Amino acid sequence: MKYIIPRIALRNLSRQKKRSFLLGGAIAFGIMIVTLINGFAGAFIQNVSENFAYLMAGHVFVQGAEKTPSGKRLSVIRDDSIIFAAVRDSGLSYEFATKTSEVSASLYFEGKRIQQTLTGLDLATNLFIRERVVLRQGSWDSIGPDSIILSEKIASRLNVQPGDRITASFQTLTGQNNIADFTLAAISIDSGIIGSVMSYVNLAYINEAIGLRSGEYMALGFMLKDLKASEAFATRLYTSMAGMGIQLFERSAKEESSTTTPFQAMIRAQRKENWEGSRYSVYTIDDIVSQAKQIVVALDGASLVILLVLFAIVMIGINNTFRMVMYERIKEIGTMRAVGVQRKEIKSLFLNEALFLALGGAVAGILLALVAMSLLSLIDFGMNTPAFMIMKNGHLSFFVPPFRAVLNIVVIAALTLLAAYFPAKAAAKMEPAVALRTAK
Amino acid sequence: MSIIEVRDVKKTYPLGKVEVHAVKGVNFSIEKGDFISIAGPSGSGKSTILNMIGLIDKPSAGEVFIEGKPTSGLSDKELTRLRHEVLGFIFQSFNLIPVLNVWENIEFPLLLGKTRVGAAEKKEWIDWLIDEVGLGDWRTHKPNELSGGQRQRVAIARALVTKPGIVLADEPTANLDSSTGEQIIELMKRINRDLNTTFIFSTHDAKIVDVADHIIRLKDGLIVENRRLNGAGSPGQVRE
Ligand SMILES: Nc1ncnc2c1ncn2[C@@H]1O[C@H](COP(=O)(O)OP(=O)(O)OP(=O)(O)O)[C@@H](O)[C@H]1O
Ligand SMILES: [Mg+2]
Repeated sequence: MKYIIPRIALRNLSRQKKRSFLLGGAIAFGIMIVTLINGFAGAFIQNVSENFAYLMAGHVFVQGAEKTPSGKRLSVIRDDSIIFAAVRDSGLSYEFATKTSEVSASLYFEGKRIQQTLTGLDLATNLFIRERVVLRQGSWDSIGPDSIILSEKIASRLNVQPGDRITASFQTLTGQNNIADFTLAAISIDSGIIGSVMSYVNLAYINEAIGLRSGEYMALGFMLKDLKASEAFATRLYTSMAGMGIQLFERSAKEESSTTTPFQAMIRAQRKENWEGSRYSVYTIDDIVSQAKQIVVALDGASLVILLVLFAIVMIGINNTFRMVMYERIKEIGTMRAVGVQRKEIKSLFLNEALFLALGGAVAGILLALVAMSLLSLIDFGMNTPAFMIMKNGHLSFFVPPFRAVLNIVVIAALTLLAAYFPAKAAAKMEPAVALRTAK
Repeated sequence: MSIIEVRDVKKTYPLGKVEVHAVKGVNFSIEKGDFISIAGPSGSGKSTILNMIGLIDKPSAGEVFIEGKPTSGLSDKELTRLRHEVLGFIFQSFNLIPVLNVWENIEFPLLLGKTRVGAAEKKEWIDWLIDEVGLGDWRTHKPNELSGGQRQRVAIARALVTKPGIVLADEPTANLDSSTGEQIIELMKRINRDLNTTFIFSTHDAKIVDVADHIIRLKDGLIVENRRLNGAGSPGQVRE
């Protein structure tokens, strides 16, 4: 019953429909742009993480390390039974465990050369790769000990066909140059994220070539059901391994520096530390993509700046409009004051109107952004674009954190109120006799 | 006790470098239930005096007493409250709130300040007022759908809705044709009799002046005639 002031404010908005529409539209446009940026930034981390997880065949990783007598650090897990014991012990579940060794190699074929990272895993039994990698030529049945699987793109650059022999040159763990021959067993389709950049070889074969024994490898990746479970999984695994007396690197680096990501700092700290025997580190996809988080922070910062700049312009419009409105309605102001409306109620009449305008514009802007997002995410960019890492299966994807949306609305409401504040105050300050006389 | 007493009131407006002496020292009092006309030629100070009685303007000197209480020391907030509770206003150009319909315009003052009226009682009272001013079929119409006479009837109902002791009307008929104007004055007169509400209206229309039972005639910011006709008080009494 008492809400007469907001009620009049709301109706006042519809008096000059075109004007309200333009101002509200300007607010809506600004909010839409900013929400799109926020939505992109919000999905960014998620997409990068998922894509990385597929590239690396895991969400949580355990890496082994030891030092040679000469002080060189080797990346190796000699005996993984303790890790699996720790996993069992803590009752953790995962989809796939993938044992990998990696080596950076030059591939040669009939005078052509290409630099590739070879990922060694058990091609015969690894479920993850069999589920995710689709073959264009060759088949999983033709996999032999010295097989290599290349993507269409790499195969065509080397100009190789299944059955061709490819020579690889690389360094062993201890730093000697070595070469090995591979047989191209299959060519994978580029459409899968993994297919286009990865080259797969057999773990046992590559281990032997770089000087690891059978059963040994560099890193163990756990693919979980859900990316979000990574941190909890890693924490429990870490605690469990530590509880079994296994030597571990700190999970997070103590040194905090603005120029490095926590992951880089962790690696650096591990380098500096003095230790003997075998040690393990546990990390997640999150740790790896923490650098991408800085991009998100930058995007969100940029969106806030855009919000402020756009609205500095809108505010000038609102300020001018409300000054005009005050003169248009001077007779009403005088009448209301005569009839018993207090000064502060006149002020809140104008501020309410500004607030409704801002909220209406902001809600419309968010709705427009949601429509734009669903349209944009329909576009199929394919997997061959270099931007595939930030996309979801070749589509743009968006997630607007509710907190950001609320923050944007609050910012726009505050700025609009600020813009309307001085005209509102001037209206409230006007003497009723002056207002009534001015109007005739 | 007079419901209104105006004592030695002057009003000067600054106008560039000179001063306009709009009201040059007037004394009069108004009794409860009076139906008063403030008459005089254009520029004689009618609006200025009504504004000061209506507490929307302040005298440069002197004092306006409302229900026996001086008003010169009051804050804007207190003056606004007093206007809301004790006074009703009718304007020359009707001054309805354009976004509210007839019923809402009349209800409007009841939604202000601390007045709290029960919903049923309020509805009954507003409906009575609407019928009283003859707008029963127009409740949901917006002001811009009404004629001038109809708008002024809405304004009269609005002025009465808080049951004020005094209703002020500055040239309420100036924007109406003469027969409509007479009807409006008749309506005010009837309510004056029915509810014993004090009406003070300014006009320079001689025909309308005659309806009043108390005439205050101004010229150049001074009272030239203050005459009680029939009804309350003794006829012909002049106090200056
Ligand atoms: N704000 C103001 N500034 C300067 N002079 C003013 C102001 N208001 C009124 N006046 C002057 O004061 C005098 C009285 O004005 P007022 O409006 O009270 O007269 P009025 O009797 O109501 O006239 P009308 O019949 O034309 O309405 C006039 O000379 C007018 O010009
Ligand atoms: Mg006047």
